[in-house]
Amino acid sequence: MATSLLGIAKGPRVQFAVAALFALAVALSGSTARADDAANAGAISPVEEFSQQLEAFQRSVPDLNKSIQNSASTIDSASDPEKARAEIDKLRATVSNLLAAVADNGPVSQLGVKALDHVHAKLKALAQETRYKPEERLFLIDQWRKLEVETENANKELDDARMQFAALLQTLQQNEDFIGELLEIRQAEKALEVIRHLTRDIRDASAQLNKLIGGIKPPGA
Amino acid sequence: MRRLLAVAAGVIVVGVAIVALRPTGDIGYIEIKTVPVAPVTQTPLYIDSAKLAPIKQGSAILQQHVGTLRLQADGIAGTLAPLCSIVVKRNRITTVTISVLERPPRCVCRFSTADPVHTCVS
Repeated sequence: MATSLLGIAKGPRVQFAVAALFALAVALSGSTARADDAANAGAISPVEEFSQQLEAFQRSVPDLNKSIQNSASTIDSASDPEKARAEIDKLRATVSNLLAAVADNGPVSQLGVKALDHVHAKLKALAQETRYKPEERLFLIDQWRKLEVETENANKELDDARMQFAALLQTLQQNEDFIGELLEIRQAEKALEVIRHLTRDIRDASAQLNKLIGGIKPPGA
Repeated sequence: MRRLLAVAAGVIVVGVAIVALRPTGDIGYIEIKTVPVAPVTQTPLYIDSAKLAPIKQGSAILQQHVGTLRLQADGIAGTLAPLCSIVVKRNRITTVTISVLERPPRCVCRFSTADPVHTCVS
């Protein structure tokens, strides 16, 4: 049959076509075999898959333990009323430091008083000054008066700041218990956030564990 | 531009003063209010034996070391007349109002102890 076929296919063009088809068939059969080999190589055996999942789970367990420990200590400190008290003390100390600067006998107030005293002394001296022409003296006095007004305004702003800091410190000490309660509420909210975070972590670990258990396939299953 | 530079210089001076002259040790505050309110209160007042600067606009806030201090005014024959005691606590204000119309001036505590000694607390 082949002979007859070959016999029919006598022309050089037909012979070339047959040779090309044969070469293509050989090439295709070779590539198919290679693809099968590759597929076999890429497939993971159930044992390997289980091993990988187990490793992933074991890696996540210490992180989860650490997370639980951290959360426990955070919640412990958040439910400590002394911590709220310490926060009020810290707040009071901050305001107190600011008030120290602007108190009547504080450094900034003293600077303001000195600056104003200097302006007053200068104005007094200029009023008795005879070295300058009247128009020069008036010009200088005018400049010092402007400075006097600005220094007085600056001192007034300082007075306002003093009253505000004092009022704030008084508010803190008079409403200490209520502010303490507010701070405890804030701490409880923080603790709740920690618990939520921990729950998320545990749920993730649980999902990973389920995946691991699901991956265990007994022979024949 | 010059004004801006002056403001910047002022801010730096004040900042340096706050840091450099920060009080050391435990301090608290006394708020002294005088009635009737006057631009400057002429009645001399003393904390322990230190004479206070005249009080302006009926109010002064003074930083003091923690402890119990004695507020005094000029008495007869050059002696000091005690008005009341003031307890200064750390980072707290103790408020006291002085009625300067009376002789000697009278001390009214905002909060006071229950004991018979006239002591103002914060």
